[in-house]
Amino acid sequence: MKKGEKKGWNFNYTTRDIVIIAVIAAITGVVNTGVGNLWYLLNTSLGPLGGALLQGAFMWAYILAMWLIRKPGAALIVGIIEAATEILLGNAAGIGTLGWGLFQGLGVEAVMAISGYSKFGLLTAVMAGAASSQFGTVWTSIFYGWDPSTAKDVWLAIPINLVSGAVLSGLLGYWLSKAIAKTGLIRSAG
Amino acid sequence: MSTSEHGLVFENRKSYLNSVYPLVKLAWVFVVAIGLFIYRSPISGAVMFLTILLVAMIAGKIPFQQILGSGKIIFGLGLLLMFFHFFVDPGNVVFKLGPLHITDNGLLQGPIFFFRLSVVVLASFILIWTTDTRDLMVSLTKAGVPYRGAFAVFLAMRFLPLIQKEVDAVKAAHSIRGKPTNSKFGHRFKLWRRYIFTILINGLRKAETTATSLECRAFGCFPTRTYVKDVHYKPLDLILLLVTILISGGLIVAERVL
Repeated sequence: MKKGEKKGWNFNYTTRDIVIIAVIAAITGVVNTGVGNLWYLLNTSLGPLGGALLQGAFMWAYILAMWLIRKPGAALIVGIIEAATEILLGNAAGIGTLGWGLFQGLGVEAVMAISGYSKFGLLTAVMAGAASSQFGTVWTSIFYGWDPSTAKDVWLAIPINLVSGAVLSGLLGYWLSKAIAKTGLIRSAG
Repeated sequence: MSTSEHGLVFENRKSYLNSVYPLVKLAWVFVVAIGLFIYRSPISGAVMFLTILLVAMIAGKIPFQQILGSGKIIFGLGLLLMFFHFFVDPGNVVFKLGPLHITDNGLLQGPIFFFRLSVVVLASFILIWTTDTRDLMVSLTKAGVPYRGAFAVFLAMRFLPLIQKEVDAVKAAHSIRGKPTNSKFGHRFKLWRRYIFTILINGLRKAETTATSLECRAFGCFPTRTYVKDVHYKPLDLILLLVTILISGGLIVAERVL
């Protein structure tokens, strides 16, 4: 976002914003497809607790995109495009991957909406990462049939999900946005 | 990782599925997926699995070897998920294996989730094998998706092979500087951290250039845009969707009546 542009609920996406979203989504799609294979192994063999350990590792780019573009919907759009990329790369959930993109993106958007899309500090990033991780688990429960009324692991996994998302996505995404800001490549990332 | 590594690339085999309107195929994948979420019996899942397999081989002219090659990881994960449900789902114990108990409900639910995973993924693969991404984006735009949004998806797909080349170049650069890629896990993690940051920076630099080029060509100036290669919908394309709805609906009704 350039200086002088409207802050907060500004849906006016520039061409540059669209291209940045596409690039981040493509890079994340490649990375997450690899991490995803490890996650599927943990999730299908150990259940919700196994999946929760790595659940937070998928959303760092959603935070990064939101911190670079600073407009409502940036995380959700990255989530959906990144998921579409993963489908093409052979993600082991096929079109079901879109569910994670949607839910995880909504997790970040929910936290950012509460902050009025105007707070871009470390605490917001950590909370967005944690929320995104937990939102993603909702889709995992639906897709893999973890019934919260009978499987207590779904509940035990919540704190692990939150910590995993806060650290692996929130902190990492925030750190990356700061590091990119230092390069001077993106003006709004400071 | 490139799409070709998994055999997941579009190929025009001049099949019926190749000619079906991309949006109809996308809707078909969703119809198949929704059905799998509603089924209560593994038999319905098995019927749909066989149906999709036949659709791929007959209507899509996709060789069985290719399906098996691309699907082996997914079928393996599906089996793991099935075994997990055997042991975890509550119900009456039918078999004991040390501290582990297999329940009657687990034996029912396990195959349901195996077929859910396998069929959803197989249907998605069929979409990829038989659909040109560009055609899918054009059809999405025709359906009312803003072309700037559809273009973002298309651009991401366009960037994929470039990113793979970028990864190879960064790896080679690090190797030349004495950072081997076949080291311990901790070192590999550090290497990947470096790769990702470098690729991100290079990617964002390309993004800035691409955005400027697009704006120079008046991208986004007009409410609609034209395409060199257009795609057209034919009523005959709906056959695939209608037949699948009939089969899926029939299975759902049969589960409840029989």
